[in-house]
Amino acid sequence: MKRIGETQMIKITDLEKYYRTEEVETIALNKLSIEVKTGEFVAIMGPSGCGKSTLLNILGMLDDPDGGSYVFNGVEVAHFNERKRADLRKHNIGFVFQSFNLIDELTVFENVELPLIYTGIPSAERVKRVEEVLDKMQIMHRRNHYPQQLSGGQQQRVAIARAVVNKPKLILADEPTGNLDSSNGNEVMELLTDLNEQGTTIIMVTHSEHDARYSHRIIRLLDGQTVVENIMI
Amino acid sequence: MFKSFVRTAFRNLQKNKAFSFLNIFGLAIGIACASLIFLWVEDEVNFDSVNLKKDRLYQAWENQKYDTYIFTESSTPGPMGPAIREDFPGIANVCRTSEENQPLLFSQGDKSVFASGRYVESSIFSMFTLTFVQGNAASALSQIHSLVITQKTAKKFFGDEQNVIGKTIKVDNKQDYVVTGVLKDIPTNTSFQFEWLMPFEIYWKNSPWLKQWGNNSLATYVELKPGVDVAAVNKQLYNYIQKHEPKSLGHVFLYGMNDWHLRNEFKDGKLTGGGQIEYVHLFTIIAWIILFIACINFMNLATARSEKRAREVGVRKVLGAAKNSLIIQFIGEAVFMALIAAVIAVIILLAVLAPFNTLVQKQLSPGLGNPVHIVAVLVIALICGIVAGSYPSIYLSSFKPVVVLKGLKLKDSGAVYVRKGLVVVQFAASIILIISTIIIFQQIQHVKTRQLGFNKDRLVEIDLQGKMATNYTPIRQDLLNTGHIENVALADHGIIYGGNNTSSLTWEGKPVGSQVLISQRYVTADFFATSGLKVLEGRNLTITDTGSKPIRMVVTQSMERLMGKGSAVGKTMHGEGDTTHAVIIGVVNDYVYGNMYGKPDPVMFFSSAPKDCTVLYARIKPGQDLQKSLADMQTVLKQYNPGYPFSYRFVDDQFNNMFKTEMLASKLSRLFAALTVIISCLGLFGLAAYTAERRMKEIGIRKVLGASISSVTSLLSKDFLVLVVIACAVSFPIAYYAMNKWLNGYQYHTSIQWWVFAAAGLLAIFIALATVSFQAVKAALMNPVKSLRSE
Repeated sequence: MKRIGETQMIKITDLEKYYRTEEVETIALNKLSIEVKTGEFVAIMGPSGCGKSTLLNILGMLDDPDGGSYVFNGVEVAHFNERKRADLRKHNIGFVFQSFNLIDELTVFENVELPLIYTGIPSAERVKRVEEVLDKMQIMHRRNHYPQQLSGGQQQRVAIARAVVNKPKLILADEPTGNLDSSNGNEVMELLTDLNEQGTTIIMVTHSEHDARYSHRIIRLLDGQTVVENIMI
Repeated sequence: MFKSFVRTAFRNLQKNKAFSFLNIFGLAIGIACASLIFLWVEDEVNFDSVNLKKDRLYQAWENQKYDTYIFTESSTPGPMGPAIREDFPGIANVCRTSEENQPLLFSQGDKSVFASGRYVESSIFSMFTLTFVQGNAASALSQIHSLVITQKTAKKFFGDEQNVIGKTIKVDNKQDYVVTGVLKDIPTNTSFQFEWLMPFEIYWKNSPWLKQWGNNSLATYVELKPGVDVAAVNKQLYNYIQKHEPKSLGHVFLYGMNDWHLRNEFKDGKLTGGGQIEYVHLFTIIAWIILFIACINFMNLATARSEKRAREVGVRKVLGAAKNSLIIQFIGEAVFMALIAAVIAVIILLAVLAPFNTLVQKQLSPGLGNPVHIVAVLVIALICGIVAGSYPSIYLSSFKPVVVLKGLKLKDSGAVYVRKGLVVVQFAASIILIISTIIIFQQIQHVKTRQLGFNKDRLVEIDLQGKMATNYTPIRQDLLNTGHIENVALADHGIIYGGNNTSSLTWEGKPVGSQVLISQRYVTADFFATSGLKVLEGRNLTITDTGSKPIRMVVTQSMERLMGKGSAVGKTMHGEGDTTHAVIIGVVNDYVYGNMYGKPDPVMFFSSAPKDCTVLYARIKPGQDLQKSLADMQTVLKQYNPGYPFSYRFVDDQFNNMFKTEMLASKLSRLFAALTVIISCLGLFGLAAYTAERRMKEIGIRKVLGASISSVTSLLSKDFLVLVVIACAVSFPIAYYAMNKWLNGYQYHTSIQWWVFAAAGLLAIFIALATVSFQAVKAALMNPVKSLRSE
């Protein structure tokens, strides 16, 4: 049963982002306006270069917009400095990447533990929470392995474990199944669906219509603008 | 978080073994090298610190004003010590000693050894910190024939015997002395060195000239009372001698123990602030430069490899790491590596300390139990870590996660310039040190090959002892009869050192009020022939000139010039207020003595009886076997002087010893230059390897398109070559300025030649090319298919 809350988590209005070189200015986001409610699972689709990843980066406060407004949980964050953004990010947002982005020098346990270290969680509590989440992701038996020793599917489970260990309100997933075969891809999508059903808002960029069908709503972008929104029933 | 940082640092270190090795080993060499220098500096700075009253101890020195300069010397009139103790309430104590260590023969049974020491007043024990291990200060010198020795001397005299108090030993085959005290060995970094001490009364009694205020033949040490202002005492001392000897040119001042070793350069009667301290400063700077060069390797390799850490930075930032925490992480990693390097550095230091001690002629110990040393090593490691980690941490932590997580190419043009700039700094420092090494070597060679005016080669100097003076004539003949010896003569002073001198002589035409210091030497007839001095005018001294009336003497050319135009032969001079005239019978060429960098000062020679001489000179014939010649000399001397062991010195060794500081600077600059080059090359090697790795695809494409191995090699080497050329341009003016300043400190010095710069530049280019080309050739030889596939 898909649950969507009534509170608004994200509201972006007339969001703009340009990429400039000495000769050319490319518009990545062109006065884009989107709203996302708490508990929603939103898929963002569109052709390469349409602005999907740029939008995700701005939503994740990894990048600044050049114009417009971004309200997160009722707070205007568009012009936050890096320190404030980092603070807001580590307490509220989890990321899942196509290429997993695990740190090769850290074990599975240590990778998952990392966000808890940055939020200042005491050591004993960290161990408990990491073990819980690894158990939940069924990757506990690999806790002392390094990322290179895992399969792609296992690496993405670790990445998801890392994204959720801090119990974020929002998970941003950038093509989470892009580097996986269909079986592992489906498992990852099931995991995301479970998380969403437990109340986590998810925004996922994907090229896959199959993956997008796991979401409540699909936003299709073209040239930095919303062209159509599909509500999934 | 700290644990996480350490873990990542350790695993990064393990994962990148080659780069870690280059970084850590380079830093370890740097820290070891700097630690050696700092040990040397510590020893120098703590010179004389064994004396608890160091801050209140002084030696009375004199300034004497002559026509063209002020002569500063440490000799003082004999009666002055007790007089100033009486007259100056600020003076707590005074100690007079004989001026220089004197070698004497000590015999017990059939064992005879030479040992050097001084005649001292007993106040020495309360002024200087001298610890008795046997006997005590109160009674040590209370008897006239008492003898105080050091532990080492006790071992030298009596072997392993433990209690030597009360033992007698014959001195100079004449008089028995009783050992009344044994002192703890004197540390090597102490100015006041000796093997024995004897009562000053002996020296005072046997040297009637000491009692005159006009004669300077003693060292006078002064202890001021606490809180007494030395400047005020010096002001009062200025004309003190003149109250007792109005004609004296000497103005006394107190010269502090704190400056004896480090600041011993005087100009116009004042301390210049220079001396050994300049080398202390120079080597300290070099130590920090070497450390910085080692840190540069770390910075360069860390930023060059930044792409490898970029994703980690991105992930950490996404997970909430603030820039500051990343800066702390990367600096922490650098400190961690620096600490490992410090541990290796200590091992290197322990391994090389013995040869380093031989090099610098010290007995430095690592002092690993000394908390100051432990803290110093930790501080050095910490500073290295912070410096080395500073730029990479700021650079790495500034990566934008959006860029690095997308795998986009980093814009690192800023970092590239910094990296190139740092390579230029490294090589510029190396080139400066190479140039300095060459010029220091040239300067030493310049002075060593200077025409001294006499021939120092194969000239043997032997102290005239026992019955040698009495038997001089047969000794001389027997030495000549060995067939190894060209000539033999006697003198009252070593030829290359400054002897007695006087300023109280006058002659016809001498300007009124003119004050000139003239050295005087007493020699036997064959001295000029033996030493190689040439009689240019008049005649040589002969035995009939000894004690002649009027006194007959030979002077050097500079003395002749002082006496006005024309030949000096036939001219006379006399002491001021004295009617006894001395007539000049000959002129010899000028020669350099005392200061080998200085100009030849005027000298006058008098014919002397053997009994008034102190040294014998023997010139060994060219081509003779030295060992055989010395053995034959020993046989002759033993025959006439059986109670004395054969002891000799070569004058050219004495000459070489006069360049100890310069030789040390030469050796150390060679060592530091080599180390700087090695550390720089380690960094360059790493950078070249990284560049080759980064450009692997480009190299593959070029090779597929037909590029030859040599063109690929030159492509990769060219960039580094340009940096070394820039380093040459930066370093040449700095090196020229610094070395020109250094050379100008010497009156007699070499000139800087252009080829030194060319040679240093070419050497640096050759070394850099050799370092880089290994990696370049390796990359050029790689199969393009492999490199393109791996991309």
